[in-house]
Amino acid sequence: MQKTMPRRAGKGWLRRNYLPFWLILPTVIVLLVVQVYPAVYTVWLSLQERERSGWTFVGSYNFERLFGMGLFGESVGHTIVFLAGYASLTMVLGFIIALLLNRKLRLSGLYITLLFIPWIIADIIAGLVFRLLVVPDYGLLSGILQNPAIFPPDGLSVLTAVPPKPWFGDFPFPPAPAMTFLILASAWRALPFITLLLLAAMQTVPTEIIESSRIDGANGWQVIRHIMIPLMLPTLVVALFSLTLSGMNGVGMVFSLTGGGPGTSTEVLSYMLYTIGWRQLQFGRAAALALLIGVVNWLLIMGTLRVTRVEERSR
Amino acid sequence: MLPIATTVLISFKREQDVIRKPPVIFPCDTSTQSFAWGECRWSVEGYQRVIAPKPSSNWPFITLTGNMLRIYLPNTLLYATTSSLLVVVLAGMSGYAFSRYRFRGHSALMTGILAITGVPLLTNLLALYQMSVTLRKSSLPFYDDRLFIIVVYVGFFLPLSVWIAKGFFDAIPRELEEAALIDGCSPVGALFRITMPLAMPGLMAVFLLTFVNVWNEFIAGYLLISRNDLKPAMFGLYDFLGQNIINLQVIAAACILIALPMVILFLFARRSFLEAMVEGAVKG
Repeated sequence: MQKTMPRRAGKGWLRRNYLPFWLILPTVIVLLVVQVYPAVYTVWLSLQERERSGWTFVGSYNFERLFGMGLFGESVGHTIVFLAGYASLTMVLGFIIALLLNRKLRLSGLYITLLFIPWIIADIIAGLVFRLLVVPDYGLLSGILQNPAIFPPDGLSVLTAVPPKPWFGDFPFPPAPAMTFLILASAWRALPFITLLLLAAMQTVPTEIIESSRIDGANGWQVIRHIMIPLMLPTLVVALFSLTLSGMNGVGMVFSLTGGGPGTSTEVLSYMLYTIGWRQLQFGRAAALALLIGVVNWLLIMGTLRVTRVEERSR
Repeated sequence: MLPIATTVLISFKREQDVIRKPPVIFPCDTSTQSFAWGECRWSVEGYQRVIAPKPSSNWPFITLTGNMLRIYLPNTLLYATTSSLLVVVLAGMSGYAFSRYRFRGHSALMTGILAITGVPLLTNLLALYQMSVTLRKSSLPFYDDRLFIIVVYVGFFLPLSVWIAKGFFDAIPRELEEAALIDGCSPVGALFRITMPLAMPGLMAVFLLTFVNVWNEFIAGYLLISRNDLKPAMFGLYDFLGQNIINLQVIAAACILIALPMVILFLFARRSFLEAMVEGAVKG
């Protein structure tokens, strides 16, 4: 059987060539089983409630109960606070560091490895690393943190401190110290990757534009604001979305650093999924939450893809 | 970088030094001086607790009986290598097919796979858990929790890997294969002798990416496996945390031990990693 690989393919020429079909089949099967079926199952689960004998259809009851939970609103607040802090901190710091690194390029391999260690290690390991620093009384930094002279009135015990009174109604801002630390730890972990991304984008900005704008009298800040950022915009958006996604889905750090506490002050949405689904065993509501998280994720991904596609087309 | 340094530091301290309040950075002080070089009391006690070597009569005269090493790390190794190999094979085939052939449903499938790339593991975890429970109850003869988790890992990392693999295959010009065909090679032969070696860096990148991500995976391993002795090392670490909540040096030692293989891997395979990461910028 003659099999050809033409560059211009007419519509019907592949009638007898089934090789690609067989090549892709295993992939499609695995994806159907692991991704598609559970997704459908989750939708189904979110509409059911478990009775003694089996499952009964309850429509949107699970969603109503989910949204009605006080903890849900609080968790959404925590997630928003976390994402805002995490994303902005990482972006700003990453941008600054990338700016600094924009001059010289020669970084030895060992140096790069050291820089990237935070990103390579697992999320719970990173959480534990930070935990070692702030465990009340024994952590290395706890000596400083719990010093009443620095943090009135009687020291700041990060993992057990009560969150301060919220400024706006019930919205959990300012964050509990544990949340602040979670943000710090997550930002520390994501920093190398974002810095690399931003640095790469920065280097695609042609230097002639920057030079000519400086000749025209623009100072550093204006150069950044009006030239670099607009030119780097697609990458910035991708970085932002990537941060948001990983922030929303990353539970490992919450597990090892704070365990959702103190109380529930670091219970972000993804952690709440764990709590509802595996600790309280309320699968219907957990499925509803999972669906919600999945939809938000999916929207973010589609947004990112649209941005990158537009950027590629405009080049 | 700083927290890593402190973790390494803690891992070499002795228990008494770790439990002191207020904590000291270097365990080098005596009752009279606060820092004395000669009096430093480093120890590998933390590592000892993790690895727990015991004398044995066989060569090499010690056996390592720590739970971590005996049970959890081999599990992680098994899961990571198997999943990565499977992902490379499947993604390689699919990437090749998507790159080189245009068939009916090509763009539909491609879009579908792209769409699935976005779904996080978390969303499907619940359903997967239910599935695992059902499968366990039905007691299929060859079924094992390990089989399930490997399939899950493969399925989770497959979309991104197909995407990356396709990108790499796209970069290999078709003229090479066509030249080989003209010279009388069969299509399959061309595939193996010409395209594969050229795609090696890309496949390597896919392998590494999957390997590291499976090694670092905590949630799935924790929630989808029921028997304790089948759980991956990350869970072992979490378990350790519960047992040793005060013994910081043990936790620090365990962290270092588990993270070290990945760091070493990264040291040797930097370029592959960075290429793969840039391709998969969305997943992060």
